[in-house]
Amino acid sequence: MSSKKGLPAHKTSILKSILFYKYFYLMLLPVVAWYAIFAYAPMYGITLAFKTFHYGKGILGSPWIGFQNFIDLMSDTGFWSAFKNTIIISFGKLLFHFPTPIILAILLNELIFRRAKKVFQTILTFPHFISWIVLAGIMTNILGQSGVVNQVISNLGGGTVPFLSDPSVFRPVIYISHIWKEIGWDSIIYIAALAGISPELYEAAKIDGASRWHQIRYVTWPGIRPTVAILFILTIGQMLNLGSSFDQIFNLYSSPVYGVADTIDTFVYRTTFTIGADFGYMTAVGFLKSAINVAMIYLANTLVKKSGEQGLF
Amino acid sequence: MGKLKRSLAIMLMSALLVSGVTACGGTSENTGDSKTSAAAGSSASSESTNAAPDVSEKMDISVALWGIDEALANADNDQFLQAMYKKLNITLKPRQITWDDYTQKAQMWSASGDMPDIMSIDAVGTTYYRNWINQGVIKPLPEDLSKYPTLKEYMNKPDIQALKQPDGKIYTVPRSLYDSLDYCAHDRIVLYRWDLAQKAGITKEPETWDEFNAMLKAIVDKDPEGKKISGLTANNVKQISGFFWLFSDPAATSDGSGSDFKWIKKDGKYVPAVLTTDLALPSLQNMRTMYDQRMIDRDIANMKGTQSYDKFVSGTSAALLLVGYGNVNNQVNERWKKLHPDVPLFDAVKKADYFPATDGNKYHCTFKTYWSESYFSNKMDDKKMDRIMMLYDYMLQPETKEFYRYGVKDVDYKKDGDKITKITSQEELDKKQPSSANLQALVEFDNAYLYDPNNSTIDSAIRESAIKDLEHSREVTKQPDYEVKLTDISTPTKDKFSILDHEFMLKIMAGKEPVEKMWADVLKEYEAKGLSKMIDEVNAKAREMGLN
Repeated sequence: MSSKKGLPAHKTSILKSILFYKYFYLMLLPVVAWYAIFAYAPMYGITLAFKTFHYGKGILGSPWIGFQNFIDLMSDTGFWSAFKNTIIISFGKLLFHFPTPIILAILLNELIFRRAKKVFQTILTFPHFISWIVLAGIMTNILGQSGVVNQVISNLGGGTVPFLSDPSVFRPVIYISHIWKEIGWDSIIYIAALAGISPELYEAAKIDGASRWHQIRYVTWPGIRPTVAILFILTIGQMLNLGSSFDQIFNLYSSPVYGVADTIDTFVYRTTFTIGADFGYMTAVGFLKSAINVAMIYLANTLVKKSGEQGLF
Repeated sequence: MGKLKRSLAIMLMSALLVSGVTACGGTSENTGDSKTSAAAGSSASSESTNAAPDVSEKMDISVALWGIDEALANADNDQFLQAMYKKLNITLKPRQITWDDYTQKAQMWSASGDMPDIMSIDAVGTTYYRNWINQGVIKPLPEDLSKYPTLKEYMNKPDIQALKQPDGKIYTVPRSLYDSLDYCAHDRIVLYRWDLAQKAGITKEPETWDEFNAMLKAIVDKDPEGKKISGLTANNVKQISGFFWLFSDPAATSDGSGSDFKWIKKDGKYVPAVLTTDLALPSLQNMRTMYDQRMIDRDIANMKGTQSYDKFVSGTSAALLLVGYGNVNNQVNERWKKLHPDVPLFDAVKKADYFPATDGNKYHCTFKTYWSESYFSNKMDDKKMDRIMMLYDYMLQPETKEFYRYGVKDVDYKKDGDKITKITSQEELDKKQPSSANLQALVEFDNAYLYDPNNSTIDSAIRESAIKDLEHSREVTKQPDYEVKLTDISTPTKDKFSILDHEFMLKIMAGKEPVEKMWADVLKEYEAKGLSKMIDEVNAKAREMGLN
């Protein structure tokens, strides 16, 4: 059962297959290399979570301290506040942001004029390309005491609202600004999924007397449901990153709102670079966040599979 | 064997010859152009008592300093840099840092073993400062500085000597601001729009906190120019503690680093002034009142870059908290001249006076006589360290200072006694030696120069105002009582303890809950971080030091 070169038959067939698809494998190579160099190789740094960092000895030479960093974390009120905020903002974004690109895609799909559809899509996608640093400056001006929004409010007889320094309104500002920035970009994949639905299904539904609403409910929605499920799993897997939203929060927050806005990422950054906390301790915080992300992606995958859709793994 | 000896002798002779030629070359370079190397030539006299320094080996020195990229961009045509390079046989290699990223970069470089030869940061008292020392990241200064007499004299200042570590070494060269804490009075300045105050019906310049608050309220409520004017704003929120603690807790004023909190004696025990309830609460209550009644700009916590200067000058903020008369000149006055060309700044703007605190005394903020320090990578050898010490010595010499301030003697300026007469205008001089504005801060800031009548970089009216106010401050204010020897001492808990007072000040100011409750929460947080333990450790150490 062995080939001429002495390799088992299944290995020969794998080699043959690789040789046959060599150009595809060649195209895959840069991606694999990228992941190997930038995602997997630096992972040795995770060991710092179980060490105390020593400047002279570097990551590999720093002394091991077991789970001490994690034990210290448990009594760190700053960490727990950041953890709570990350979870709240993550769920808030999932709840308020996740459905909006789906709704937008369906609404754009319903537009009769193709040109209008493209114009709206372009306008709504544009903010995605502006960095949070630039946007934060614009938002500070717009939402400031003498900014446009407060001028409108005061002209209508209301008092000025310190949007960026009032803890009670800061999170809604985060949700709304995130939706405004990403709604257009995030809807692209749904628009692509909608384009894949056969027009014959709509024609058949029309002949059967289906209204626009019924067409959306019984043709459009089932058509994009698998896409929604996959994106839901991916979003859940990235949820703590979504909640941490370092760029957005770091550029918009200030100490009056730390209590509601300090997330794991901003906590790590401030504690490391302002106070100079041990890199090992801060790696433990990041490690914990990644572990929770893995658990959540597994949970979401299970839930999606149970609802009858195909999971990621 | 005889052949070997002959070869060695020839090699030694050649080496001597080469070094002799090099040394001659160096001398001729230094004396070749007496005008462009005025500073270099005159500095040599100060070294006459010592052996001639060996600068035969060319050295590149990497420097992380704010704006260094820009400073060294035109090195080939920079008379100051060229004279320095020739004198010391060095080339400076820039490692750019900005005011926004220098702390992060310093930490990343030190963690990754990529620290430049010279690194600038305000690290004294921080956790990483102690780690850098204990873990061999930074190089100590040579114990014997007699080879560098000007630097030695500079390092002999008491507050710099206080940085000596238990091993008897000093690991940094602090950037001196001035030679007396009196100048701290100008480290936090509040300017207010007197023109708008008058339009709002105020007739008397405020002399107390109540009058100041009433004036701000009148400007904001009456909004004389209809611009929706806000109250007091600040250029950097880290600076607010230097003003607002003066209401009731003057020893709490901090430079914003989190590591310079001062210790006062309370009920027979040393405690951090900033966390002393009966002193801190009235100041926090005052801030809350000012914020609630819009005497403080609602956007104060979110000010970025130079927004606050623009707001103040354009009349959308009634008052501005900023650092130093240098910024009054460079930031406020420059903007003012463009927007209000017909009105001199101090005709419309006043500097807030020193208001009596709750104990009836007038205080000014108090920090240190230096801010930020130079650190030296432990990866460099002693030869390079020696050259850097020579560079620091050179930069501190009076002749070098004259060079970077006024240019080349008898070419760019003439000196008659203490009086300097400029031949080259400041604008032209900036073109001839573009590095000097930034590079003069390599070793010290020397802010006292701001008050020097020869300083033509500052508007004379502003300088006069600064001098007058400094005299006034010396007459009416006093420095708060605190134990200066305890500020930088090391104890296990204190080394990891940081008090970022501006953070909780802003939080309480903008908060909705009662000030007392929010303050109690702040104390609880610090208690969880080991406040009581730190106080016990510091008091034990104070007893060891013989402090009662």
